[in-house]
Amino acid sequence: MFRTIFSSTFRRRAAAALALLVAVMLVLPLTLSGMPYIQNVFILAFYMTTMSLAWNLLGGMTGQNSIGHACFMGIGAYTSVLCVTQFGMNPWVSLPIAVLVTAVITGLVFSQCFILRGPYFTLVTIAFAEAVRQIILNWDFAGKAIGVGLPYVRGNNWLLFSFKDRAIYYYIAFAMMVGVYLIMKRIDNSRLGFALKTIREDEDVAAAIGIRPLKYKVIAVVISASVSAVAGFFYACYYRYIDPNIMLQSASVELVLPAIIGGSAFVEGPLVGGILMVSLSEYLRNTFGGILPGINLILYAVVLIVVIRFRPTGILGWYSHSAFRDFLEGRVLGRNMDKNGKEAQS
Amino acid sequence: MSAVLEVRGLCKSFRGLKAVSDVSLTAEEGAITGMIGPNGAGKSTTFNMICGFYPPTSGQIFYRGRDITGLRAYQFADMGIARTFQIMKPLGNLTVLDNVASGAFFGRHKAKSLSQAREIAEGILEFTGLTARRDVLAREMGTPDQKRLEVARALATKPDMLFLDEAMAGLNPTETEDAIALIRRINEGGVTIFLIEHIMRAVVSLCGKVVVLHHGEKIAEGTPEQVMNDPYVMEVYLGKGAPNVKG
Repeated sequence: MFRTIFSSTFRRRAAAALALLVAVMLVLPLTLSGMPYIQNVFILAFYMTTMSLAWNLLGGMTGQNSIGHACFMGIGAYTSVLCVTQFGMNPWVSLPIAVLVTAVITGLVFSQCFILRGPYFTLVTIAFAEAVRQIILNWDFAGKAIGVGLPYVRGNNWLLFSFKDRAIYYYIAFAMMVGVYLIMKRIDNSRLGFALKTIREDEDVAAAIGIRPLKYKVIAVVISASVSAVAGFFYACYYRYIDPNIMLQSASVELVLPAIIGGSAFVEGPLVGGILMVSLSEYLRNTFGGILPGINLILYAVVLIVVIRFRPTGILGWYSHSAFRDFLEGRVLGRNMDKNGKEAQS
Repeated sequence: MSAVLEVRGLCKSFRGLKAVSDVSLTAEEGAITGMIGPNGAGKSTTFNMICGFYPPTSGQIFYRGRDITGLRAYQFADMGIARTFQIMKPLGNLTVLDNVASGAFFGRHKAKSLSQAREIAEGILEFTGLTARRDVLAREMGTPDQKRLEVARALATKPDMLFLDEAMAGLNPTETEDAIALIRRINEGGVTIFLIEHIMRAVVSLCGKVVVLHHGEKIAEGTPEQVMNDPYVMEVYLGKGAPNVKG
């Protein structure tokens, strides 16, 4: 493995750049210990990116656009919080239960919904999310509209997943994001990934080469929802309080955006989009939110519209055919431009 | 030669409109069987029924003596049956290599890893003459290469029997010759072929047996020479009282 990494100048330099980036990310929270707000922005960005990575498995790789992913996250978050508050479980025990409950519910519901294609499927995801939110809103056990909170814990407590020190949340969120990314990367190059991509491109072709579209779509939605449930568990443990608003339509849309802006055809798309969009949105809110209420949202929308209008394949879609890539990978990282590189220039 | 595929009394109605009625035919092991007929004769409908894309209204389909009527399209690849589509369906956002690798992951190769799937795919690209285009996105290619890719992807499932739906439509004469040569090479590798084709030159040079469909019914069957000299077939293609085009 190491031999392939160090086999060329480009790979050596790219590996070094990546190592440097990771090192910076790991050291960063230590320098930010006096700035909880900035730490919070990073944690939020990692969380959103994780959700967007989960969405991208179903939306980007399988081509089934869901606008109800916040509800998968919500089912996971609620299951785990209710396990802790109502049944007195340890949060760590509640995590696998939350994943399992989310996986079973989505598997059962969506195995029936995949006869619908395209926009009709998207409508079902909206309806499903809203239905779940309404159930929680009217369910005493789940705290109705007031929501439910995790008990307060003093100091840093690994056993109860509660930390006074935000840096720990930072590291956990970072590890969660990187872990999910690596899983998605692995799926992308696997048999499962090829089944999903073939289904995205054409379901008839998929069937003709022996892929059962329904089976693989259900696998995709279950994995996607399970990862969302893990993110939901993290969200609940971080904020210590959840209410049905976490499942609002707007929350679902918000976590689709990083993938689209970053480039949903790429596994790295949500990674790039997530970090950029969350930082941008927080920057705009900080800088302009005070001047005129709502102006930050308008600016955010303008950026979105511009990207989607002029770069519909996202940032990475642009990057993969750009002169900037030739510069960065060719000059800076010393890549020998092969056939692909030459094509990118023409 | 034994019949590897046997179709008995196949019918298909779309809301009362009879698209195919009572078509029976056989395809022999190792042979190339052709199906011809004017536009709207029900060729593609018959084809799609045999390949599991439409359920037949009535009738039966046997593959190697097993009744496969009503099986779903995705179950065919495992039995060693592959097909191409008349309207090309490239996996547009994947490279040519990965289009074919996708077939190698499933079908009967069932590649375990990406490197194994791509290795199988490389071999097939070599065989079908697409090696030079391996890194191109499938949607960026022209018709002849996309037609070729259809065949390559089907071959990646390691079929015993290959269904080709107008694999040569839209090709110029040179490209048609290449396609004929490719189909012959596939057949020589032991793959039974069943094809729909409008280009008579290809049908005559490839097929041992031809089935003619008209208005959803089988009107003739035999060697290409026999069916082309059949008076009714001539009437269907050329109209009544047409000059004799024998020879």
